Amino acid sequence: MKELLKELCLAFGPSGYEDSVKAIIKARLEKVATSACEIIEDNLGGIYFHIPKNGAPRLMINAHMDEIALMVTGATDNGELRFERVGGIDPLVLSSKRVISENGIRGVISSKPIHLLDKEERSKKPTVDKMQIDIGASSKKEVLDACPIGTYFAFDSDFVKMGKKIKAKALDDRHGCAEMLSAIEALAKNGFKVKYDLFFAFTTREEVSYSGANCATEIIRPDYAVVIESKAVLDLPGVGSDKSVATLGDGALISYADRGAIMNRALTDSLIDTCEKNGIKYQINRAVSGGNDSATIQRGALGTRVALVSAPSRYIHSSSSVVDMDDLMAIRDLIFNFVKE
Amino acid sequence: MIELLKKLMLTHGVSGREDKICELIRKEVEPYCDEVTVDAVGNLIAHKKGNGKKIMLGAHMDEIGYFATHIEKNGNIRLHSIGGINYTSSAFGAVVSENGVYGVLVPNAGADSPKEENVYIDIGAKTEKQARAKVKIGDAFVSAPSIRRLSGNRYIGRPFDDRVGCLVLIEALKAVGNTDNDLYFVFTTQEEVGSRGARPATYGIAPEIAIAIDVTRADEKGTQHKLNIDLGKGPTIKIKDGSVICSSELLGEMREIADANGVKYQDEMLSDGGTDTSVMQIAGKGCKAGAISIPCGYIHTCNEMIDLNDVRGAIRLATLICERI
Repeated sequence: MKELLKELCLAFGPSGYEDSVKAIIKARLEKVATSACEIIEDNLGGIYFHIPKNGAPRLMINAHMDEIALMVTGATDNGELRFERVGGIDPLVLSSKRVISENGIRGVISSKPIHLLDKEERSKKPTVDKMQIDIGASSKKEVLDACPIGTYFAFDSDFVKMGKKIKAKALDDRHGCAEMLSAIEALAKNGFKVKYDLFFAFTTREEVSYSGANCATEIIRPDYAVVIESKAVLDLPGVGSDKSVATLGDGALISYADRGAIMNRALTDSLIDTCEKNGIKYQINRAVSGGNDSATIQRGALGTRVALVSAPSRYIHSSSSVVDMDDLMAIRDLIFNFVKE
Repeated sequence: MIELLKKLMLTHGVSGREDKICELIRKEVEPYCDEVTVDAVGNLIAHKKGNGKKIMLGAHMDEIGYFATHIEKNGNIRLHSIGGINYTSSAFGAVVSENGVYGVLVPNAGADSPKEENVYIDIGAKTEKQARAKVKIGDAFVSAPSIRRLSGNRYIGRPFDDRVGCLVLIEALKAVGNTDNDLYFVFTTQEEVGSRGARPATYGIAPEIAIAIDVTRADEKGTQHKLNIDLGKGPTIKIKDGSVICSSELLGEMREIADANGVKYQDEMLSDGGTDTSVMQIAGKGCKAGAISIPCGYIHTCNEMIDLNDVRGAIRLATLICERI
């Protein structure tokens, strides 16, 4: 699964521009699909893998393909690009980072060196309106010819193995895509024998609007949905267990609630039960924080019973997120064991 | 009616954990309906079939409360608010979990004003292990429910928001007489965290008219800012609040029915706040939405106050609307 995760993380897929991620997923799905399976694509760029089972409850497992990014909004006279954020990004994590555009042009985000910061500036957070993307151009025309207004930039960041941990960009939520694909491939080996009328939905635009998941909910109309996500954690030195949310390496992170949704208790408990019965490592979220597609799926169409499984993630929404491979494998095993007959 | 109200008040049902209150209401309404269903997000939908207008009346079953998020070494339980909690009112008050575990909600020593970050629940456990034997992460607590009669028609307790609305809905459902209208009485979930239940319920029913029944803030003695809503002067008919402008056509019809039948009502004209009404209006293809409210003093505290006259008026108005609109 690590090679697949690497391929997915390195793919370029800001919210609203997920096609290259989708292409990787589609190719893998087509390889395992039998004539009984269905591959569905929606108008917002989402792709679903359907393993039909007549009369069984409809279960949707969902991960989003998009990543946080930047978009060009203009340029300065001396050839630097102005930009706006696509998704929730703290300006602090942007300063002096490498970025790459949709057409492969590399750049660096400007920052003021410490030598030139006055006393007040040193204690203040940087703001996006003072930052530009430097692609090495020297005039407005040159830079806008290369990267016109509307061009996407994403973080330019390697995929690095650090012991059992992984450092990469876009782990949120490519890890979810990887676990779902890996579970589908495992199900293919057992002849797609599943308990549910099962949909794996790879959705778009989570980082900006949840509209991709809304679209999937309207089309699939699931009875149950399990959202596979990333959860920001702070398991760092000096942070007490009441503030750290969860711990990397302690297993799949199951939440009873976050700021967007109160999860269905029975569905959540049956996920826990699956972990217990199959010896899958899991942990319960120690905070109520963040929000994701589960909010929209719960309230979409006729309403859905939702549950949330996350990978505990350090430095989320930055160029270098860190997750633990053991947690990802636990999530994959949980998906597989939860749905298989 | 008071006996039923007591039962509704004393049953646990934090947003997302409405199973117990749902079961209670289901038993109460089942004999009076053609069909009772519970949807995926827990909404209880009681249907009285007819060939006329499709009308939906809704009251939310859920109440504000707390989820346990963390258990400390000394057995103290940290929490997260579900809905808008008034911590000044909750501080040093009794709380009870969905499994019947009692505790007291206490601000940290030295905290100047109680808020989510600096309060804990003490269930009397001496250690983390003792606490964990009784409370799991994710368990729901509420400030202890109660109901008590003051003088005359005034009652205090919690949570009148919105169990008194549930009472109105149940009594209207029982009282409604001959009508062609196709009536849906919906007890919704998760209103206190942003009307998360009402949307799918309305989407599924697709009514022509939807009316939410909830509490509204009454003027408190000594307040500067007059809402012009008083306890005891009748239910209110909502014109607008911070999240919805009610259908003026429906508003006219509701007033006409009230006037023609001598039901006293007050105007509800608010600049902020919100109920399920806004979500009912825009779910699916949209519908004509309005609201009847019961004036309530000290909303979201441990002692909310209502006047039974307003409740009786609301029941009569809701019943008449079901029959005649």
